[in-house]
Amino acid sequence: MSRRPKTLVLIFQYGFLLFMTFFSLYPLWFVILASGRSGQRLFTLKLVDMLIPTSFTFENYLTLLSGDKYPFTSWMRNSFMVAAITTIACMLIATSAAFAFSRFRFYGRSAGLILLLAIQAFPGVLSLVPVAQLLSAFGLYANLFGLVLAYVVGSLVFTTWLLKGYFDTIPIEIEEAAMIDGCGPIQSFFLIGLPMAKPALAVTALLAFMGGWGEYVFASVLIPAPDAKRTLMVGMYSLANTPSIPWGLFAAGAVMTIIPVMIVYLYFQRYLIGGLTLGGVKG
Amino acid sequence: MIAWSGRKKALMILAFIGPTLLGIIVFNIYPITYNSIISLTNRNQFHPNPDCSLKVINLIEPSCWPMFQESSGVSKPYSWQDPFVKNYSTLLGQLLSKVGSFALVQFMICFVPLIAAQQVNKYLDRQLTRPISGMVIWLLGLLITMIAFWFIGNKAIKTLQENSDFFVVVFRTILFVILTIPINYIVGLILALVLNTEYIKGRTFFRVAMIIPWAASTMFIIISLIWQFFFRDVGVINQVLSVFGINGPAWLQQPGLAFGVILLVNLWFSFPFCFTIILGGLQAIPADQYEAAEMDGATYSQQLTNITLPLLRPTVIPAIILSAIGAGGFQMFGTVWAITAGGPSRGAGVPGATEMVMIYAYKQVFQYNAYAKAGAFAVIVFIFLFIMTLYSLRITRITKGAYE
Repeated sequence: MSRRPKTLVLIFQYGFLLFMTFFSLYPLWFVILASGRSGQRLFTLKLVDMLIPTSFTFENYLTLLSGDKYPFTSWMRNSFMVAAITTIACMLIATSAAFAFSRFRFYGRSAGLILLLAIQAFPGVLSLVPVAQLLSAFGLYANLFGLVLAYVVGSLVFTTWLLKGYFDTIPIEIEEAAMIDGCGPIQSFFLIGLPMAKPALAVTALLAFMGGWGEYVFASVLIPAPDAKRTLMVGMYSLANTPSIPWGLFAAGAVMTIIPVMIVYLYFQRYLIGGLTLGGVKG
Repeated sequence: MIAWSGRKKALMILAFIGPTLLGIIVFNIYPITYNSIISLTNRNQFHPNPDCSLKVINLIEPSCWPMFQESSGVSKPYSWQDPFVKNYSTLLGQLLSKVGSFALVQFMICFVPLIAAQQVNKYLDRQLTRPISGMVIWLLGLLITMIAFWFIGNKAIKTLQENSDFFVVVFRTILFVILTIPINYIVGLILALVLNTEYIKGRTFFRVAMIIPWAASTMFIIISLIWQFFFRDVGVINQVLSVFGINGPAWLQQPGLAFGVILLVNLWFSFPFCFTIILGGLQAIPADQYEAAEMDGATYSQQLTNITLPLLRPTVIPAIILSAIGAGGFQMFGTVWAITAGGPSRGAGVPGATEMVMIYAYKQVFQYNAYAKAGAFAVIVFIFLFIMTLYSLRITRITKGAYE
């Protein structure tokens, strides 16, 4: 495979790579360009303007952040709060369950693990109505905490599996040594399990955060109104479905929503792939 | 305080997994039970409220519980469907009749050649010499399957789809899955093959560039809206085409084109994942295999079909099954919802041209309030997905064994 191929093949390979790069980057580049244009039009009639910025203003960003027309800042705050609380709660609950599934041998352990995964196959869209009814019965409907509750449970199964896979790779000998010295499960969990699982914890936290940040369906049903209580995704969707769409503002909002999260994601990418394959494929 | 074993162990385990268990029961098991029971009632827009005098409904419906009773409305309550399984029979249409089951059998028969091809290949693998290569047998099986579809399968599908939204939606979703999965994985495979070579300059840049859609894919609603903008009547694509003097079509108004747009956007979301999985698999293949093959004078295509693809199988097949039943395949919702919302419409009361399983269920619940029908639908889909999940676990375990 190390031979250098013919020039024609090489040209095709570079051509394909360039084409795919364009395909994967252009939508995001386009939004960045459009967010810098004033007025309502997301595109121009000139081809050049679609590829490189000829002029760039931050007018759209300022309009959005000032919150005069749309409560963008409160959307952002809501989304951030929901995602952050989901992450923390999910980590607290899922790590202990994963530790138990990995370290204890008890009746129904493997069946329980498989059942967790299979139950997850129930389409989320259809569990919305019972969940909404349950939340409204407890007075948590149209409340961010109700949404957090739904998210936490929604990501529990995946997180538990991922962390369980990672705990399995930590050699049990360390804990056995600690056990002989009189270390109980709780100490073992806090003093050995958690510190050694740090990379997996980071990955899981990131995934849980991204899940809460980008979720749309539950947020759109469980937080119906008012506008300011919505999350970012629902707000942006409603912005793009108003009669005369403020495309410039939409593009600016999209940039502010996507780019920060994406940078964090790319930074953690290498841990992410390692963590995922550790938990899922080799687990 | 040491509780690794004995009486305290049970308590300890309960303390560790208790919160998870509680969450799963309240937010997963309760909805599933609720749906299954509601699917046997006649709850729809004319009977939205529960009849609390029925024992089971009284138990399952929060608005029937003593502390919340006053919140129930005044309109006509729903109760058991008559006959009991009517929702299921309406959904399945003619399947429960003689004609329908015959059509289903015909539909299944179409796949016999593929199974036969697999068995023949298995048999030949055990022989010392191979008279025909495996690829030829697969292609032959595929060809016969396609001919069978042309003559029997087509008609069988039409029979099943008569009077049944369910089969229309399910067949469309299956069509989507069998189109989108190969497209995504073939693009991912080509990319991984090209980027796994040593002579390409700037590989790191290309790899990062290819992963960017994945990083953006959790915010799929916004990205899908951007893609929708590309394909609007006066969107970016048509604008570019008009520069060259071409009048672009109305992409999202024509059924075939809208379906193609969904495939393209799903490719954008999914190919980074396929690429990463395949690249990982490629790098796990030991280099001496290729060296030995080169020594024997194997060409690139021979190396590809005899070393690369077979050794990729254990990594790729579990991933394929997972993405086929996951949110990028059978359970596709967000992308379609943001781009076409199930349209373009094909008439009132008929599922739209890109309406897939999840979109259909969502619309039944939130637009038509046909909750009982959607519940029956959910139960059928759940049984299918449940079996598929168990199957994928089995496959993962088998391939893992083969790999180590």
